[in-house]
Amino acid sequence: MKTTIENDLNQNLMPEESLQIINSMISKAKNKLADDGFHLIFWGWLVMFCALTQYITFKLNIEWGGWVWMLMPIGGIVSAVYGYKQGKTQKVKTHIDTYLGFLWGGFLIAMFITLAFGYAHGLKSTYFFLMLLYGLATFISGGILNFKPLIFGSLFSFAFAILAVFLDNADQFLCISGALLCSYIIPGHLLRAKFKSEKNV
Amino acid sequence: MFKDLDPILHSQLRLAIVSLLVSVKEAEFTYLKEQTNSTAGNLSVQIQKLKEVGYVDVEKKFKDNYPQTICKITPKGISAFETYVKILKQYITKK
Repeated sequence: MKTTIENDLNQNLMPEESLQIINSMISKAKNKLADDGFHLIFWGWLVMFCALTQYITFKLNIEWGGWVWMLMPIGGIVSAVYGYKQGKTQKVKTHIDTYLGFLWGGFLIAMFITLAFGYAHGLKSTYFFLMLLYGLATFISGGILNFKPLIFGSLFSFAFAILAVFLDNADQFLCISGALLCSYIIPGHLLRAKFKSEKNV
Repeated sequence: MFKDLDPILHSQLRLAIVSLLVSVKEAEFTYLKEQTNSTAGNLSVQIQKLKEVGYVDVEKKFKDNYPQTICKITPKGISAFETYVKILKQYITKK
């Protein structure tokens, strides 16, 4: 709404004008895209880098390959600092922010449990469940944000999870990389581009 | 003229504030000021009126040593808004 709303009591406020105010304000609040895609892009590239490094070291029989995952706690710190800074500049908290917070919070818990205890059933089942979790979290996020690339991308995570069942241990890392590329990295960049274009409007 | 309409909500700025707040979980004073293009003084007075009737909750905090006012609609505010919209629709369909 471009006009300045200054009046206190508006005896002459017509019902149509009231409806126009309501529509204008609700659409202003609803049009705000809640996610800038940072976490999807950051974690997508970081985990894909680790997975591909481990794949290569596996194939070349290099033992230190597993150490690359030590980047995860550093990634956690970067992500937390970014989230904290973002929260400080945020002037409005939408219901979507809350839903996404619970969704990704639950995802993190499920992921830690899978990584910590999934080995009991072997490497393959750990990565199988991880890819299912990637798919589920991005599928729901896409629905909440009404962002189709994220919904379509998530389907690839489900497909890679099924594919991984039929492949050997080393190839699990290729499946993880494929799942991340399709459900995190590509939709993440598209989401960021949309966020930036909406911000400049 | 529109005597059935809640006089608290039947005001441009207060209606704009409540319409914004029903769409979000909570909003800072500065966000409401930007979206409604109102002055800080007028906005402050109208928020106070909404708070007095129990339509809006106002929480004052400090962020980086600056005062921060966070507004949130109450269940009473949501109910009043819904009733207002319902009556408004009746007026429009009667025409």
